[in-house]
Parts: sequence; structure tokens; C-alpha cells
Amino acid sequence: MSSIKESKNILKWSDTVELVDNLRVDEVGLKERVASLASRSIKKDSKLQALNYIISMCDLTTLEGEDTEGKIGQMTAKAIRPDPSNDEVPSVAAVCVYPALVSKAKEMTRNSNVKVASVSSYFPSGQAPLESKILDTQFAIDQGADEIDIVINRKAFFEGDYRKMYDEIVALKEVCKSVHLKTILEVGELRTYENIKKASLISLAAGSDFIKTSTGKISNGSSREACYLMAKAVWDYKTVTGFKAGIKVAGGIRDSKDAIRYLVIVNEELGSEWLNPDYFRFGASSLVDDVLKQIKKLKTNAYQSSYYFPRG
Amino acid sequence: MNEIKKTYKNYVGGKYVRSESGKTFRIDLKNDFYEVPLTSRKDIRDAVVAAKKGYSNWQKLSPYNKTQVLYRLSEMLEGNFETYQQLLQDAGLTKAKASEDIHKAVDTIIWYAGMADKWEQMTGNLNPVAGDFFNISHQESLGVVFTLNSNNQSLNSLLLNMLPALTVGCAVISFNEENSVIALKLAEDINNSDLPGGALNIMSGKFELLIEDVSNHVEITAMAIYKEINNHDKKIIKENASKSLKRIFINPPTMGLEALFPFIETKTVWHPKGR
Amino acid sequence: MNKWEYAESIESSSIVNIDKKYGIFIDGNFQSANSKKFIKTISPSTEEVLSSVTLGNEIDINSAVESAKEGLKIWSKISGTERAKYLFKLARLIQERSREFAVLETLDGGKPIKESRDFDLPQVAANFFYFAGWADKLDLSWNAKGLKPYGIIGQIIPWNFPLLMLSWKVAPALATGNVVILKPAESTPLTAILFAELCQEVGLPPGVFNLVTGDGTTGAALVKHPDISKIAFTGSTGVGKYIQKETADRDIGLTLELGGKAANIVFNDAAIDQAVEGVVNGIFFNQGHVCCAGSRLVLQEDIHDEFVTKLEKRMQSLRVGNPLDKNTDIGAINSKEQLDKITNLVNEGVKEGGSIFQTDCELPQNGFWFKPTLFTNAQPSYRISREEIFGPVLTTLTFRTPEEAIEISNNTEYGLSAGIWTEKGSKILWAADRLQAGVIWANTFNKFDPSSPFGGYKESGFGREGGRHGLLSYLKVQS
Repeated sequence: MSSIKESKNILKWSDTVELVDNLRVDEVGLKERVASLASRSIKKDSKLQALNYIISMCDLTTLEGEDTEGKIGQMTAKAIRPDPSNDEVPSVAAVCVYPALVSKAKEMTRNSNVKVASVSSYFPSGQAPLESKILDTQFAIDQGADEIDIVINRKAFFEGDYRKMYDEIVALKEVCKSVHLKTILEVGELRTYENIKKASLISLAAGSDFIKTSTGKISNGSSREACYLMAKAVWDYKTVTGFKAGIKVAGGIRDSKDAIRYLVIVNEELGSEWLNPDYFRFGASSLVDDVLKQIKKLKTNAYQSSYYFPRG
Repeated sequence: MNEIKKTYKNYVGGKYVRSESGKTFRIDLKNDFYEVPLTSRKDIRDAVVAAKKGYSNWQKLSPYNKTQVLYRLSEMLEGNFETYQQLLQDAGLTKAKASEDIHKAVDTIIWYAGMADKWEQMTGNLNPVAGDFFNISHQESLGVVFTLNSNNQSLNSLLLNMLPALTVGCAVISFNEENSVIALKLAEDINNSDLPGGALNIMSGKFELLIEDVSNHVEITAMAIYKEINNHDKKIIKENASKSLKRIFINPPTMGLEALFPFIETKTVWHPKGR
Repeated sequence: MNKWEYAESIESSSIVNIDKKYGIFIDGNFQSANSKKFIKTISPSTEEVLSSVTLGNEIDINSAVESAKEGLKIWSKISGTERAKYLFKLARLIQERSREFAVLETLDGGKPIKESRDFDLPQVAANFFYFAGWADKLDLSWNAKGLKPYGIIGQIIPWNFPLLMLSWKVAPALATGNVVILKPAESTPLTAILFAELCQEVGLPPGVFNLVTGDGTTGAALVKHPDISKIAFTGSTGVGKYIQKETADRDIGLTLELGGKAANIVFNDAAIDQAVEGVVNGIFFNQGHVCCAGSRLVLQEDIHDEFVTKLEKRMQSLRVGNPLDKNTDIGAINSKEQLDKITNLVNEGVKEGGSIFQTDCELPQNGFWFKPTLFTNAQPSYRISREEIFGPVLTTLTFRTPEEAIEISNNTEYGLSAGIWTEKGSKILWAADRLQAGVIWANTFNKFDPSSPFGGYKESGFGREGGRHGLLSYLKVQS
């Protein structure tokens, strides 16, 4: 698995400015396109294929103050073998936890392909000095995290200090070195579509391997429109630099139908080479259960109950 | 009697011009006669060129400005009241009828002058479309309009035939037969008004000689016929018009909002409403 | 990893029942015509024969006119509110049976089910709803004297939006108190026939809606009939001119909604990704069989390469194939004849020196198909830049300044629609004022609404359909 990509992907600030200068997005046209993609009818084999993709792209997540090593144990077991009754169901891509639980997660997943991702940089608000964010990130890496999910500095973004937002990501990227860096935009706070595209491009320019929609800690976490715009940003960035970044959608994606619609966006806007865990992820807790139900339904033609599937 | 008679000329592109053919024809009024130009095909071609130029200058004036230009025309008419009265009397009207006609003509101009900056509010509107769109329909003038005017010896009729198209911003080639003397007299007031040259062109002649040329001319966007014409001529006009989908109006209304309908084209603009 | 292919997702056609043969609909009933000739209507995606419809002749048109005269007697006596109720009922019934209509439209015409289901049918119902509401308030529509219905209206509609064009014509005509004789297109008569069945179902008085199927000769007989007081036609500019000529010796109303070669202008300050979508929708919607299609991409030179790269990539994602597949974006070309016309013009474009790009999609064996096509390096003088292709073919022209964009856009005998893409508001309004076109889409394209007037400048015809302005197409102004 080549989830660790070339990290020499930082674009100079002056080039970044050029990239985000005069960004224009038309909301109505954007929504129209996204709605039209949502009308794709995914049935039969293509649906089963999609459901398996989704499982393999999931970052099974728990980010609560009440998380314990016990909870992490349950979740990692499920991550490795989501449906013990069906060997064809793949492992999820990663588990996503707070830094303090990385070592436990690492220990539980050592005999599997499941990665351990840790949030850092004073997730979810990011309202801390850069020095603290660096320590936070360094700690998670020291604990063995394969992937780091940071948040952008929305304070700086809204104050118009894009340079500061960029510099912070560059600094954290330096801490990460070859550890996979996912940068959370928190699109629900950015609100306008131009902001989302701008934040996407700045994050990519500053060295992010992935851009991610949301912390999952606010009510309007992810949206298909945001995913579409991020796909456009990834494409534009690839056109300029040749670097192929990934996208993680997280926050409010609870059922298979919704998740498939995200897959369609990525498939049609970026192409099927993005349809693997190296380039596309779902951050989710309850999504996996619905997908497992749907897979079983396709096999047995009977609608399923969640008590057939293990707790995460 | 050995008085020196005035020879009228066509009024094209803001200038008085003789027919390039040099031909004239005689109009016998009840109490007098006049020689007026017999417009040729080439004169029509020239008039269209002039009208196109006039159109670009006239239609771009603000509606407020158009109102003032037209209002000034009514002032000119009032100023020349007695000249018109005499002409109409020569044409056979009693002094009282002549006077009434001029008063009506002035009122007609006043009505249209005040319409120039209002009709768009009566013909345009926002359309309540579904979805997040701003959608508005408004009207634009058609372009160069040829009007075949009524034969009435009446200043008011003449104005009722030229003003609907002119008010909405079209350039008019106002073509006259038996009422040519009054029409060409009016040209003098037009010339002294602030109407841009070519916006209103006044010509005299025999339409039957020009029917093919006018109805075939692609740059004449519309023809309005304000007199009875026979079916044969109507057929020629419409058949030729069909080559370029020229708009043809036979005896359209001369007053009211509906008088403007033939000369306007609806443009609908859509724009999304979003952030 | 494997490519993710979408499995077929076919809309079942079992919902439609198609008879082997159809007569004409007059006096409120289907009856056999005087003409014993029939036209086979085929599915352009499979070339399968769906049904045979009457090729109406002059005598059939005469019978329809007699029926319409009787219909007019009844229709002119009932109140506007009663007319409104019939139209509201029709609207509701169309909604209820919209799936059936959509499948039939797709079978007969070849357009994707996605479009007949999500665009045509909702718009059809909306048209009847909208004009129903005008029937009892015509006196409030225009501050003009002497507005009266024409009487008997002859309506001739095209094959690109068969039922939608029916609704654009029939709903306002009936709302304003006229009665109708409709001649649907030769290749797409079936939804009009189903609509006639609905008229029976709602108990529309006999003779108010009459339907005579046929070809150009049937249309000509309708145009020539002396008792028709108005012709409303949507179709080619050539036929529009013929109608104006043919009716030259009569005092007759005409609404002509004809061809187009619309410019879709993209300025360098546009929202590029949405502009790409708009350009794609502008030309590939309904296989490009759209009179107002944005068939000329008028592109600012400094963004040419970036835009064309994005456009070609987007075109590659268009799915061409079985129109009944819910994932099909581009269906079948409506007829062999149309396919030949498109093919010839495209070959001509290559000969003239245009650079052609076609997508890699695979085309089905049977039926009529054409790959989404883009021309770059085209000159304004090329036939592909001037003639209406009426297919999925886009021609790119470039400009340097806004003035030049307007000049290029207006350099056509057509004037139906135009598109403007820029995020600068004042430039939109500046351009909209200067574009000689009846419908201007700014930062969007191919949007329609019953309340929004549609119709052209110049040789794209005259008269408007839709909205308050559309009423004037069916009300005679008496001086």
C-alpha cells in the first residue's frame, strides 16, 4: 500500500497566492451539478462494489472525552474485521482517535493493514499557539500514528491572514515528515463555497496529503457540495503541480446511499483512480453498520437488523 | 397667379434631399397643388442606411431624453400652428377642422412624449420562475421600421402612424403618398427638434413602385401599413418579408399600449441567486 | 483496482401500452381518418417499430377544422373559470401519469429518461398549471384594449420536446379561449396521442383539442386551411419562412419559434467550473436537439487552453447509450435523417480545418447515435460556426475584448438565445443589453419556466411563448 506519498509537495507562498487569486464559484450552478450527480442510479454489482469500496475507505472514528482503552479495543477489532460472518468484507482503512489513545490503537492493529490516524493541532477548534500544535502533533507521531488529521486555523482564515494559516500547515507538515497529513477545513464554518475552495487550495499548497471536510464536531459537517469543490481543488492543484492529493469526507455521513453519492462525485469529477483508500476516505462511526447491512441485503435479499453486526 | 412655390424635398438622415432620380410628382390638394419627390429604389436604400445610423443614436438616448425630444416637437408644432392650418385648409379642411386636427396632433405628441419613459414599466416584468433565479423580461425596440402612412390629410393621422415606432426607440422611414405635403412640412419641425438625424425619415412617393424593394430589404426589420392595401400587394409584401422573417403589421392600433406592441421585442434575462 | 462501472439501471417500459395503429382525434374521439396511409413511428435507440399513426390528409384537416368549429362554439360560451378547471385537471392528470408519459417520450424520441422524467414532464405539468390560472384573469394580463381570442389555432410542433412543446402551445391557447388543431412531429407522435386520451378523461368538450398526425404534407394542409385564424409553429427557420409565405394572402396570426445558433460567451472572470457545466448542459442537453442550444462557445482567448482541457475532461464523463438507462446522459439522435445531417456538417467542419475532439464512448450497434463533439480552431466563417447543427456538436470561437465577443455573438441571422459567463455584474448587464437574442442566460443556461417568455429576435422567429407575454400570442389586438 502506497499511502505514504511524496512529501515534497509544498507550493511557495507566492505561487499559492496566484492559485487562490480570483477564485470564483457560482452557488446555483454548483448545486445543480451536485444534484444531477446525486441522481445516478447505482444498482446491482456496481452497488456491491461501491459498498466494499466504502468499507475499505472508512476511518472508523471515536473522538470523545469518554474514550477509553476498552472502547478503542472494541473499535479496532471491528475495524480489522467489520463483518465476522463475511470474509469478503474488507478491513476499514484506519481508525481515528485522540493522541492519548494512539498507542493502544497501534497495539491492537499491529497484525493488520488498518492504519492509525490521530487528530492533533488542538482539534477541533485549533485555538492554540502553533508551538502547542506542534507538540500535540509530535506526541501523536511519537506514539506511532500513521496519519495525522489537523485543523486549519479558521481564526486566521476569517481574519484574512491566509499566510498564517498556510505557515501553520507548512510547520505541521514538517513535523509529520512522511506521516500522512490530512487537513480539516471545517467547511460548515467556512460557509461560502469560495471560502471552501480557497481553504482547500491553501491547504494543498501548504503540503497536505489530504483535505478533509469536517471535524465531525459541528452539526453541518460534510456536504456533497463541499466534496465536489474539494475535488475541483484537488484537480486544479494536480494540473498546476502534478501532485495527486486525496479527500476525506467526514461529518454526518450516516448511510450507504449518501456515501455512494460521494463516491459518484469523486468518480465522475476525478476518476476511478481516486477510488481507493489512498485517495478517498470516509470519516465515520455509524456509516459502517449501514453499509454492512446493505451488503448483506444484496446477498440475501432481506433487509437487516443492526444486531447482526458487532459493536464498534 | 404667379407666386413662387415651394418645392418640397425628402427628409433623410437629418437632411433635405431630392430624389436621386430627379423625379417628382404632383399632389393636387383641394385648393392648391405641390410637387413632391418621387422616391426611387436608391432613395430607399439610402434611407435605410441613414435610418440604421439614426437608430443607433436614437435608441441609446435615455427614455427621459426621448420624452424631452418628443415634447419639443409639440412645441414646434404649436409654434407653426398657422402654417399647418393653411396647409390643411388647402387640402380641403375647414378652418375649424384644420385647427382641431392640429390640436389633436399636439395632444398625440404629448401622449407619446410622456409614454417614452413609461412604456417599459407597463410591458416588462419580473417572472416568478421556480428555483433560485432572478428572471426579468423587458423590451427593446425592433430596429428600422418602414411605415406606410394613411392618406388622410391630417397632421394627427401622420403622427399616429410615426410615433408608436419612434417612441419605443425604433428608427422610422415614414412613407407618404397623398398626404406627402403635410408630411414633408412636418419634416421641417422634425429638423428643428432635437431628434437625431436618421431617427425619423420622411419620404414621399408611390408605394406601388417600391413595394418589392421595401419588402425585400433585409435591414428593414418591420413594416407597418396604416392604410388599406389590396390583397395582391399584401401578398407581395408578406411573401418577400418571409425571406428574412420581416415583421409585417397591417393596420395596427395607433393609440394605447397596444400601439407599441408591434415595434418591441421581448428579451428575457436569467441570473442565479446565490452566494 | 478495477474501474467502477455503473450497472445498467433500466426504467421499465411495461408502464406504457402502445396500440398497433392510431387514428386521428377529432370531435373528442379517436376515429379512423379519411387517409388510409400510415406512418411507422420507431424508437430511434433500437429502430424497433413502436406503432403506426395516421398520415393525415387535407380531408382529415377539414374534418378537424369542422370539429374545432363545434368546439369553439362550446368553448367560447363557458367562463374563464371553467376553462381554468379543465386545464388544472389536465395538469394534475399529467403529474399523476408522468412516469408513463416520460417512458413513452423516451421510447419514441430517444431522449434520456433522466431528462424526460426530471425535465420534460415536470415542465409540462407546470405549463398547464401556470396557464390554467390565467384563464379567468385575462382582463388583468395586459392594459390593452380589444384583446380577443383568435378562434381556431393550428399548431405544429417539433420532435425535440414533443410533449413539452405541446404544453407550450396547447395550454396558453386553451386558457385564452381558443381551440386547437395540433399536428405533432412525424417521428414523435405518441405522447400527443396519450395527451388526447387525457383530454377525454377530463371531459374536455369535443372539438376543443384536435389532433391530426402526419408529416409535412399534413402540416401544409393545416397551414393552408382558410378557417385557421392563427398558426403557431416551432421548428426550422426554413419551414417558418414557408409558413409566412404560404399565409401571405391571409390575415392570420403567426407565432414562429425557429432555429438558433446561440453564443455561449465565457469571459476570463467566469466561475470556470460552473461555466464548463453550463457549456456542457448548453449543447449536450437533449443530444443538442434544442433550438436555443449554446452551440457556439465564444471563449476569451486567454483562458482557451485551460477551459478546453476542463471541457474535454468533462465531456469524457458523459454517458451515451440506452435512453431508458437512468444513468444515460446522452440518448439517441432522433432520426436517421437528423443523424445524416449532423454527420455531414461535422465532416464539413473537419474539411474546413476545424480541430475535432470526440469522446471515447462506445456507441450501441442499432439505433442512431453521435458522439459528443467539440471543435476548436474553428473560424467564424466555417459552416459549423454558422449553421444550426441541431446535434451534440459544439464549435469554439475565441475573442479578445468584450466588444469582440458581442460582435461574434451577433454575427448570425439567428437571435434566439445567448449565454454570458462572468462574475462581474456590470459586464453581464452590459452584454445582455447588446446581445440580440430573446433569451439571455447569465451564469446559467437552458433554463425554462412557464412564467418566463421564450422566443427569438431576427430569423429565430417572432412572438413569445410563456409568461404574461406568451398570452399575447393567443390574443388578437383589435384596432
